[in-house]
Amino acid sequence: MWQTKSSGEARVEEAMKQLLPPCQIKCPINEDIQRTNVLLSLLPQNVDEAKFGIIQIGDYLYEKNPFFNICGYICGICELECNYKAKGGSIRRRLLKRFLSDYYSDYLNQKEELSIVKDKENVAIIGGGPGGLMCAYNLSKKGYRPTVFESSDRLGGALWLVPEYRLPQAILKTTMDNLIRLANIDVKYNARVGDGKLTFERLRNDGYRAIFVAKGTPYPRVLTFGTDVVEGQNLSGVMYGHTFLYEMSHGNLGPDYLQEKRVVVIGGGNVAFDVARTARRLGGDVTVVALESEDKNSKDAIPADEEEVRGAWEEDIRIVPSRGVRRIVGEHGRFKSIECPRCISVFDETGFNPKFDYDDLRNISGDVLIITVGQVPDRAFLQKEGLLDEKGRLAVDPFTLQSLRNPMVFIGGDVRRIGFMVEAMREGMEAAESIHRYLRGLDMREGRKRQFEPFPIPYRDTYKPPTEVIWVPPEKRRHFQLFERGLTLHEAIEEAKRCVTCGPCMSCKACISIGFEKSLYAVEVDEQRCSGCGICVYACNYSSANLLMKDGRLVSATDMFRCKSCGICVAACPSGARTLVDDNTHERIDEVIASLGK
Amino acid sequence: MAGFEPKLVCFSCKFGWGYLGDEAKIDSQVKNRVPIICSGKVDATHILDAFKAGADGVLILGCSEDNCHYQDGNLEAQKRVYLLQKVLAAYGIEPERVKVELSTDPEGKKIAEAVKRFSEAIKKLGPLGKAEVEVSRVA
Repeated sequence: MWQTKSSGEARVEEAMKQLLPPCQIKCPINEDIQRTNVLLSLLPQNVDEAKFGIIQIGDYLYEKNPFFNICGYICGICELECNYKAKGGSIRRRLLKRFLSDYYSDYLNQKEELSIVKDKENVAIIGGGPGGLMCAYNLSKKGYRPTVFESSDRLGGALWLVPEYRLPQAILKTTMDNLIRLANIDVKYNARVGDGKLTFERLRNDGYRAIFVAKGTPYPRVLTFGTDVVEGQNLSGVMYGHTFLYEMSHGNLGPDYLQEKRVVVIGGGNVAFDVARTARRLGGDVTVVALESEDKNSKDAIPADEEEVRGAWEEDIRIVPSRGVRRIVGEHGRFKSIECPRCISVFDETGFNPKFDYDDLRNISGDVLIITVGQVPDRAFLQKEGLLDEKGRLAVDPFTLQSLRNPMVFIGGDVRRIGFMVEAMREGMEAAESIHRYLRGLDMREGRKRQFEPFPIPYRDTYKPPTEVIWVPPEKRRHFQLFERGLTLHEAIEEAKRCVTCGPCMSCKACISIGFEKSLYAVEVDEQRCSGCGICVYACNYSSANLLMKDGRLVSATDMFRCKSCGICVAACPSGARTLVDDNTHERIDEVIASLGK
Repeated sequence: MAGFEPKLVCFSCKFGWGYLGDEAKIDSQVKNRVPIICSGKVDATHILDAFKAGADGVLILGCSEDNCHYQDGNLEAQKRVYLLQKVLAAYGIEPERVKVELSTDPEGKKIAEAVKRFSEAIKKLGPLGKAEVEVSRVA
């Protein structure tokens, strides 16, 4: 069994301008997707033997992404940009990570603490969600002493609102508990910065030299129509999706909570669908009313993931698209129905600016109304600490995440801009880098802006279909157990083998890490020998070999950024003009050939 | 041809063959093996050099059809060997003395078997004649 190395030649260096596979560019933290896909494809078929490799791959991912086993359940952004998408289906990277998680989550409890010397300043991190913890993790690794101030009694922030049928709480808890143990992060629970005496000033007086605000969006957005707040949101039977999921995560809603209730959910985002599917599992007869269109290709399409919509549809949840909510009608103080004009357009050139056809009204009645139209940050706190500008917006440099009002304060994650978990993680990473630069007196910007160029799919004769994703049939998933089956070892290996490794070797080096190759050999062309025939161009699957006009004649050249050092062009060259520099394969060949005579 | 033990050279793709096995053990079972990053990297000159040096056969073990790490190096190898076989035949060397086998064997348990099978086939052809070697030197 191979053993991976990630130092020396096998280390992936970050570059200012880099060609990367599109999946890695799409991933906000630019995870080394290709490298780990290659390693997965080389696992043994026997589970006991494979474990050793799985842990090694997990350890490698963990260095950059201590949440990777959660990503395996709920992320998969990378799959949106996989080159294979156009060839039958993206590589199922999310499920590959969930596969790793199936083994790695248990191992996390035994993982040895990172060896870190913490000799730098104290940093206060407000909010123990993915953004705050990612910042704390990165600061810890740099030798700072971060303290996380978490307002509740658990870490994970909004991740707790993800229903258990998508993300088991045990996975979330293990990940969080081990993260603070491994990186030795100090956490203060039930510590709500902004309450009472716990202010920025107090933190500064207590010796914190920088503050990262990652408080997320703790409050639900109220329902508005045009510029007006829709009345009736205080009726009995009306609640917010955010509150509903929060109560659910605390186990406060019994399994029959919505039994025989007609539940109307307002919203078209992923959270609205989480709410709808949760309500369905609690016995409700659920209707989702979304402003957006059901046409996936429209600019006004329902923003929730296709899989969420499909899941809801399978679970007998009615989806009513293209409807706004103008009025909530109550009777005897209880919710009765909503009045919904047809929405004819959601976005225009000014952005979100819905237009309605008031002649086309529809009343939708129900027993419970769950409003899930977004979340908002704790504005009172931001105001009080002076982090807003005259117009009431966050005054923050979007590149460095440094507050424009208070230089020791950095702001990121959902509180700045609502996004996916991994986007908050990215901001946590960036904030850690900024805080490091700020506290060391370094330039805040220099050398940080990196540019990526996506790599096209290599040429191939045949493409393979993706592994089938298996969901528990709808009639059997009225519960909070996972409804998606994970990949088996065999499936994971086959799926990882589908990856055509679009990216250049510089950003991968999987083969070096397990000793297949010594280094990435450069191709050298002897221009005197080269006849300019172009056979190398034909042989190369990566558009790396090409022909140039030089001194009035054609000669071949190699774009090293695209080259895989495979040597196929060298073997194909009829005039022996191409060689791989430093490649010692020929030594073994010579040795073997020399031994033949003996 | 009693007692004739063919001299063989075996190239094996690192992504398809033996990467999980114990290399020393595989080497002890299979003499004259060259693990190579891709079967498509095997040059025609490597094969001819082997014949010149006294090999009776050359076996190339590549990845199974759709699994080449470099997209189609295994097919490149097949194509190259096919063409080389025509040349060899023209010089009176049996084309069967070069063979490409495409399969996957991570543990490397089948390598010895594949070489043995190939060896049996070469045994039937007998040693590569002296005259032929002269010809291949010219080639």
